[in-house]
Amino acid sequence: MSEQRGTLDRRSLLKLLGATGASAVVTSCGSMDGSVSAEGLTGGKFEKSISLATAGPGGNPNWQPGDAVKFLPPADIPTSGKAADALAAAGNEKLLHLYHLMQTSRQWETTMKDLFLGVADKLYGAFHTYVGEEAIAVGVMGALNDDDYIASTHRGHGHLIAKGGDINKMSAEIFFKETGYNKGYGGSMHITDMSKGIMGMNGIVGASYYMAAGAALHAMVRGSKQVGVAFFGDGAAASPYYFSAVRSCANMKIPVIFVNENNLQYMHVPMAQTAPTKYISEYTKGLDIPHFLVDGNDLSAVYAATKEAVEWARAGKGPSMIEGMTYRWYDHAGFAGGKVSQDGAMGLPYRTDDEVKQWMSRDPITRYKKWLVAKGLASDAELSKIDADVAAAVTKSVEYARQSSDPNPEAGVLNTHAEGPVKATQFYNRRNVVTRLT
Amino acid sequence: MAKKSYNYAQLEAVAQEMRANADMVFYYEYQVPTATLPTGEVLDLAKEFGNLRTSGRGWPIDEQWIAGAAIGAAVAGSKAVARLPSMAPIYAIEYVQNQAGKIRSMTGGQASMPFVLWQDGAGRSRGSAGQHTDVGCEVLYAQLPGVKVVVPSNAYDAKGLMIAAIRDPDPVVYFDYPEVKAGEQPDVPDEAYTVPLGKAVVRQEGRDVTIVAWAPATVDVNRALPMLAKMGISAEFIDPRSLKPLDVDTIAASVKKTKRLLVVEHGHYTAGFGAHVLSEVVQEVPNVRARRIAFPDVPGPGAAGMMEWLRPDAPKIVDAAAQIVRA
Repeated sequence: MSEQRGTLDRRSLLKLLGATGASAVVTSCGSMDGSVSAEGLTGGKFEKSISLATAGPGGNPNWQPGDAVKFLPPADIPTSGKAADALAAAGNEKLLHLYHLMQTSRQWETTMKDLFLGVADKLYGAFHTYVGEEAIAVGVMGALNDDDYIASTHRGHGHLIAKGGDINKMSAEIFFKETGYNKGYGGSMHITDMSKGIMGMNGIVGASYYMAAGAALHAMVRGSKQVGVAFFGDGAAASPYYFSAVRSCANMKIPVIFVNENNLQYMHVPMAQTAPTKYISEYTKGLDIPHFLVDGNDLSAVYAATKEAVEWARAGKGPSMIEGMTYRWYDHAGFAGGKVSQDGAMGLPYRTDDEVKQWMSRDPITRYKKWLVAKGLASDAELSKIDADVAAAVTKSVEYARQSSDPNPEAGVLNTHAEGPVKATQFYNRRNVVTRLT
Repeated sequence: MAKKSYNYAQLEAVAQEMRANADMVFYYEYQVPTATLPTGEVLDLAKEFGNLRTSGRGWPIDEQWIAGAAIGAAVAGSKAVARLPSMAPIYAIEYVQNQAGKIRSMTGGQASMPFVLWQDGAGRSRGSAGQHTDVGCEVLYAQLPGVKVVVPSNAYDAKGLMIAAIRDPDPVVYFDYPEVKAGEQPDVPDEAYTVPLGKAVVRQEGRDVTIVAWAPATVDVNRALPMLAKMGISAEFIDPRSLKPLDVDTIAASVKKTKRLLVVEHGHYTAGFGAHVLSEVVQEVPNVRARRIAFPDVPGPGAAGMMEWLRPDAPKIVDAAAQIVRA
């Protein structure tokens, strides 16, 4: 067993991905030092001297709005190297499908943004956009099987779409219609498709770890080789659930892939304000599991890292950690600073417009498009056709939502238990309701 | 005395106690403690008291840490307030149940616990669904020995109960529901004052039926009262403000007069705190006609129509009060 662990793992994985010029870096056993991680992030030249030492319980006074540019990746993603080769080997049909998924996520959310900001549809409820982070969902899901499990977050529309979610049912749920994924009970934050291994978006930060770990245990019991993926953000890594789940999965070799979408901001607080290390994945470097630190706006890097992590998990070697550095284009929730037909939220007090614009210039979709064309894997015309197909599908999903019916208000006492309604205790006379529904 | 927002009144209470207690601490997550008066005067606790006594621009998303650290500071002797967000209404409960509520007793009275859990509440409103709609979790804390619970419903009580909670040597859970913060608020004195723990207030006097409700159900009761008056029903409305200790005397005295009791709550029906109110009253007052209406035992759904139907709102309160009076 021992030769399967520690530095040997790291070496073999580094070899697989290519230690020089790799699009993904693999570290393990405390080796995530500056020289490895800074070089490995897709050739990005990162500021190594970011000091995250805090001056007391109140956080790091040296971190200022605008400092997120210190994590900015390069303009283009590498067209050669192990990650590029791994993705190219997936074949043209799949490469275009992944592009289709990224576009669907982007266009669907951008359309919802415009509908929320418009008045005609009177949309309400929470909505947390994933725009700008699509390469992570699509890169991860591209390396999974259909029957693998994912546990998502409040910012999970992209995860659902990438795992094969139906945008008609998603749109209907945003409209709280009875044809929605959750029949109008859940809304944006709780969309779930158990038939596709999508254990659901979740309104509680840090809820994904145990969900994915439990699903992976279920797979172990059945001997099915499925893996569980726990998505989370930089903010959620502060949760005690995080350390609990990662530690136990490492201890028991549970096949979970922890995917940290580090968008550098938790709600309205910069990541560096509350993180004691430059990268979140450094928190767990004492554990004997592979760590992949990748450019989260590079589809090839995310895909290649996940492929390794999945093979590792299916081989019975246990969990791994992937941290993708990325950036949230919009506000934490809702659309403050956003405008109809304009990308990105500007004028927010906890970050600078310059920082937003610089990160938007590293758009994962544009970068992937350029990569496909540069490698001769797709033409502009092919990709434009996909863009148009996606636009039509998104429009259709909105029409579907608009034409669907609201749920019966009295269904409010259903679906809490497997059978029957609960008492309508909001009324003086409560028996009539129960009789009507049963 | 400038007109103050509810939030300003609450933060002013904490600030005044922090000024009076040099080692008092105030920890929170993303709810950076600033508020502005209509005159433009800004209250900024992080700036005034610094990073060692506050959470500065915000602490990580780790509610157990925020509550646990404050409880530890309180055992050592600092007055400590920990504010947790609304979607985490019982994240702190394990440490409060096993530590904060028990330490005085377990140590034979040695350890004090000047700890306040400032727990943001959610509300029965459309669009959030499930985890962001919880109301009524105060009953879970009220069940714990050694723990006191208050539920303010206007800016005056919010400030006075906060100061009383901070000055109390025992752990107090202070539930803070956003729904009661909207609308017209009573005047809030500038100086520090207390609203005593365990003292109910009669919001409206009446003869025919006693209505008991606390935040945020008070908002719906306030809407129902004029409708009841129009129907010729004279309702007495009592807001207990503190659930534990509960002012049974004030409620029982009212029901002795009206002989009818309606308890309204936005919390869930089964074992909701209203059940305790009802049980206290019927043990004190003979021949009471009593009824509870409460949010059903379902997580709050997202769709507006379902949520509105489930909410024990003004029309349902009017109907229930009228049926009790007519029965």
